[in-house]
Amino acid sequence: MSLAPIQPTAITGFALCNALGGDVRAVRDALFDGRSGLGPSPIALPFDTAVGVVATPLPELPASLSGWTTRTAQIAALLLAQLDAPLRAARSRWRPDRIAVVLGTSTAGADVTEQAYKHFLDHGRLPDGYDLWRHHTYGAILHAVRELAGASGPGWVHSTACTSSAKPLASAQRLLAADLADAVIVGGIDTLCAMTLRGFHSLGALDHAVCRPFAADRGGINIGEGGAFLLLERSGEPVAILESVGESSDAYHISAPHPDGLGAALAMTRALELAGVAPADVDHVNAHGTGTRLNDASESKAITSIFGAEIPVASTKGYTGHTLGAAGATEAAIGIISMLEGWIPASIGAEPTDPSIEANIAHTRLDRPVKRVMSNSFAFGGNNVSVLLRSA
Amino acid sequence: MNTVALIGAGLYLPDAPSLAAWTSGSATPAAPTGAIIEPRSRRRASPITKALADAFAEALAASGADPALVATVFGSAVGEVSTMVGLLDTMWCQGELSPMAFATSVHNAAAGVVSISTANRAYTTSIGADFDTPAAALIEALGLVATSGGVAIVTCGDEAVPERLVDPADGWELAAASVAIAAVDAAPMAPRLTIRPRRDSDELAASLCDSAAIGRNPCAGLVDLALATSKQAPLVVALDRGRGTGWVAELSAPGSK
Repeated sequence: MSLAPIQPTAITGFALCNALGGDVRAVRDALFDGRSGLGPSPIALPFDTAVGVVATPLPELPASLSGWTTRTAQIAALLLAQLDAPLRAARSRWRPDRIAVVLGTSTAGADVTEQAYKHFLDHGRLPDGYDLWRHHTYGAILHAVRELAGASGPGWVHSTACTSSAKPLASAQRLLAADLADAVIVGGIDTLCAMTLRGFHSLGALDHAVCRPFAADRGGINIGEGGAFLLLERSGEPVAILESVGESSDAYHISAPHPDGLGAALAMTRALELAGVAPADVDHVNAHGTGTRLNDASESKAITSIFGAEIPVASTKGYTGHTLGAAGATEAAIGIISMLEGWIPASIGAEPTDPSIEANIAHTRLDRPVKRVMSNSFAFGGNNVSVLLRSA
Repeated sequence: MNTVALIGAGLYLPDAPSLAAWTSGSATPAAPTGAIIEPRSRRRASPITKALADAFAEALAASGADPALVATVFGSAVGEVSTMVGLLDTMWCQGELSPMAFATSVHNAAAGVVSISTANRAYTTSIGADFDTPAAALIEALGLVATSGGVAIVTCGDEAVPERLVDPADGWELAAASVAIAAVDAAPMAPRLTIRPRRDSDELAASLCDSAAIGRNPCAGLVDLALATSKQAPLVVALDRGRGTGWVAELSAPGSK
C-alpha cells in the first residue's frame, strides 16, 4: 500500500493575541524584553492566582455575524484581520472549497454559557439572545471563522484540552497530503472563565502568584486567554516551514502525565522520525512547561532522553499564562518568531531552577540563529503533541 | 483519497445497545455499560463516555484491529455537557468543584479513558463541528489512513443537552455510533466508503432509525451510516441529516470505484 507522504508545509502567515498584546509585534516585544503579561484576575475568585488577560480592544463582528458575537469570535476576528494579506493571496490561489479551517479550543463558549446559566439560576430563564449553537458549541466559532475568512472547505474543532490547537497543524498536513484541501487555516482560541479557574484550583494545579515553570519552588499554572492562527498552504511564500507533528497518548492517567514522560518522548520522537531530522539538528525546545511539579519534571526527563541536556529549553507560560486550548498554536507561533529573529526567549521565573530538572533551561534571552524549534503541548487524557518547525 | 474500506461498525442507542442487537430485531432497552473501560475510570464515566465506548468497542471487535494500535477519532457536538452543567450548578451555589468532575468534563474524556483502557499510545483526538461532526471525524480519519495506513475508528455521539440550555422541542436522546475504516487495498473484500459533498443527483437513503429524538441528535448521521451497513450497497447517507454543510457517505460494493 502506498501512503501519501507528509510533506514539509509552507506557513504563509501567522497571527497572535494574548496577554502580551493584540498582535505579533506586541507579543514579540514583550518576549524579547522578558516582560510578563500576567496580573490579577478580572473574574472574582475565592482564592489568589494570576491570569493572562487580552486587554486589546476587540473588533465588532460584521452585521451578518452579529448573532454569533462572543469574546471567542471577536478574538478570531482580530486574528483574521492580522492574516488579511496572506489570506487574500491564498484566496487568489485556491478555491474557497479547497480552503479548510481546523481549529482548537478547550473552553469554546464556556465563558458565555456560565454567565447565561447564572442568569437562569437567578431569574429562572436564560438571558435574551443566548443561543447554545451560536454562543457555546465548537461549530459556533467554526462558522464565524469560515464566514470571516471566506473558506468553505472541510472544517472542525479539536478539543483535546491543552493540545487542542497543536493538533490542527497535524490535521492540516494530512489534509494536504491526502489532497483534501490546498490551504488550511489552523489555530486556536481560549477565553477566561470562572469554571476553568475554579476547576484547576480544585485540582490543586493553580499557582497563587505568578507562575514559575521549572523553578524549584514552582506552585502550578496560571490560566491565560488568547489565540493564534497560522495559514498553511500547499505552496506559497513561507515565513516558516512546518516539518512534522508527532502525536501520542500516554495511556496512563486522565489528568496526570506519565512520570517518566514516556508519551511526551514518543510524540517528540515521532515528530523527528516523520521529518527525518536528527535531535542534534534541533536548536530549541519551546516546552509545554506549565509550572506544575509533575509536568515540568516529566517533560524535562522526556526532553533530555531525546535531545540530551544541552539544548536550550524555555517555557513561555510565564509571559502569557497557560492559554490551554490556544497554547499549542500560540507557542508554535512564538517558535516562528524565534526563528525569524534569531533569539530564544528567556524562561522567566525559572531561577532558581529545580535541581531535579536536567534540561538546560534558558534563564536569559539567548541571541543566536535558530533554524529548528520543537514546540510541545501535553494535555488531560494523556494527549501529547510535538510540533517541529524549521526556518524558511 | 476520499474512499476507504469500511471494516466494522458499532452502535449504542437506548433502545438498541449494539448494532448486533439492532440487526437481530430483538433489542431491549439498556443503559450504556462502558464495558471496555477499565473499572476505576468506568465508575466515574458519564453516560456519553460509556455510550461512545460501547459503540467503539463493537466497531473495534468487528474490525479485528489491535486495540493498542488503532487510531481513534471521537466526535461530539456538545461533549460532556451534563458534567459541565453539574459543575456550573456547584460553582454558582458557592460550592467547591470536584476535581474528578472537572477532569472528566473535557471533550476528550472518552478518548482519554479509551486510550488508557486499551493501552493505546497511538493517535487519538476528539473533535466537534455541530451537525457536521460525523463528516468532520470521517475526514480526519481519511487523512490518518491516507498518511499512516492502519485502521482508524471513528466514533461520534451526543448526550441530551439539559433542558435548561435548549428548547425541549429541539432536544434529542443519547446516541453513539462508530465505524472502522482502512485503506482499500488493505481490505479489498470490504465495502467501500466514500466521503464527499452532496451532489444534486444524489438519492439519499431513507434513515433506518425511525426515532425523531435520535434523528435530532447532532451525530445521527453516523448512526444512519452504521445502520446502513446492514443493507446491500450502494447507497448514499446524509451525514448531517440536512442540518450541516451537506457531506454524505457513499457506500458501495467491494471492487467498485
